[in-house]
Amino acid sequence: MRIQVRRTGGFAGIERRAEIETSGLRDAGDWRELAERAMADGADTPSAGVPDGYHYVITFDDDRTVHCADPGLTDAQRALISRVLKEGA
Amino acid sequence: MNTIAPVFCTIVPPHVLDKLAQAEDPRLSGPARRTLEVDSAHRTRRRITGLRAVASPTAAATGNPHRTIHDCEHRTALPGKKVRGEGDEPGRDATVNRAYSGLGATFELLLSAYGRDSLDGAGLPLVASVHYDEGYANAFWDGDQMVFGDGDGEVFLDFTLPVDVIGHELSHGLTQYTANLDYQGQSGALNESVSDVFGSLVKQYTLDQTADRADWLIGAGLLAPGVSGEALRSMKAPGTAYDDDVLGKDPQPATMDDFVRTSQDNGGVHINSGIPNHAFYLLAVELGGKAWERAGQLWFDVLTGGELAADAQFTDFARLTVAAARARFGDGAELEAVTKAWSQVGVPTA
Ligand SMILES: [Zn+2]
Repeated sequence: MRIQVRRTGGFAGIERRAEIETSGLRDAGDWRELAERAMADGADTPSAGVPDGYHYVITFDDDRTVHCADPGLTDAQRALISRVLKEGA
Repeated sequence: MNTIAPVFCTIVPPHVLDKLAQAEDPRLSGPARRTLEVDSAHRTRRRITGLRAVASPTAAATGNPHRTIHDCEHRTALPGKKVRGEGDEPGRDATVNRAYSGLGATFELLLSAYGRDSLDGAGLPLVASVHYDEGYANAFWDGDQMVFGDGDGEVFLDFTLPVDVIGHELSHGLTQYTANLDYQGQSGALNESVSDVFGSLVKQYTLDQTADRADWLIGAGLLAPGVSGEALRSMKAPGTAYDDDVLGKDPQPATMDDFVRTSQDNGGVHINSGIPNHAFYLLAVELGGKAWERAGQLWFDVLTGGELAADAQFTDFARLTVAAARARFGDGAELEAVTKAWSQVGVPTA
């Protein structure tokens, strides 16, 4: 599974992108389970968000895209986003 | 985080402890000094005794802050654990102490310069949460309170470090309770700019700086050592705050010629704010003296005057500042300076 995260907004207004291909990873199953939970709670369209809050767009296999924004992330979304931004490239 | 007994003797009045706590940090010893110097005896006495404000002859100049600082303990549930309330002495957590005094500085500017009692004009309690999430490199206003992350330590440091960042977040509350500018496109960039303007004015006020001495930077001291940049934004020279391998280059325009069209960041609200930011800077420097007095007053008049629409564009805001200059100062230097400032950034006022 290819997971892409794009983070925009924030106090600095600086965009960050990262992606990871989980196929073949030892913990590919964990990634898939986390991705599915994050996907289930995501919105199809961006929300207004809050002043200086981050907006996130998560894309799965170039197929499904979900939107979420601080501070309204679910635990799964937050965990997935921080893992992709940390471990992805 | 803040459960350890305060190291200071509690016989000393809380506000004095506040100053002591701040004095260790050169960035904040200025604000402390400023507070001590400018407080009238009347207001200082009120703060020491913790008495509720008594109606004074200048009715507007009443009110005390009602601050509460919470510690998220690196989690994301808001507001988190309460660690400091109004009048409590400082603890060992410098982040908590900075947030508390930054809230106080912003409250004090609004009250003393503009006669406004907190964000809503009616003594709204000020709430901030610190240590939000793990290595969270951001700060935001959630509609009810401020939220500050510790930064990632590699690019961004603690978001409570610059007092203008605290003032910026609180000013989002001021805007919410007044013009409530839509956080999208030009009105969103105006919303951002108003926060930068009053954030910078909070810093200038605490340092008692005239416009020509101020750095006009937003987020100075926030970038980690090794990052090529002095701040996140420059009102004096938009587009020059940083130029770094990791962060990229400051994308802010200074004039309408370089207005950025983008779908990101709610239509570039943190980018195009450079244009009204620069107009304010030009006005303040042209007028000279303390920027919060005349230039800041005009911006405050427009924000709170009831005529600024939620979907206002740059030209709407600019025209209202010209009208405000005429209403408050007549056909004088202020009117000429504000018209010239907008003209220099390419925003028509006629
Ligand atoms: Zn902002």
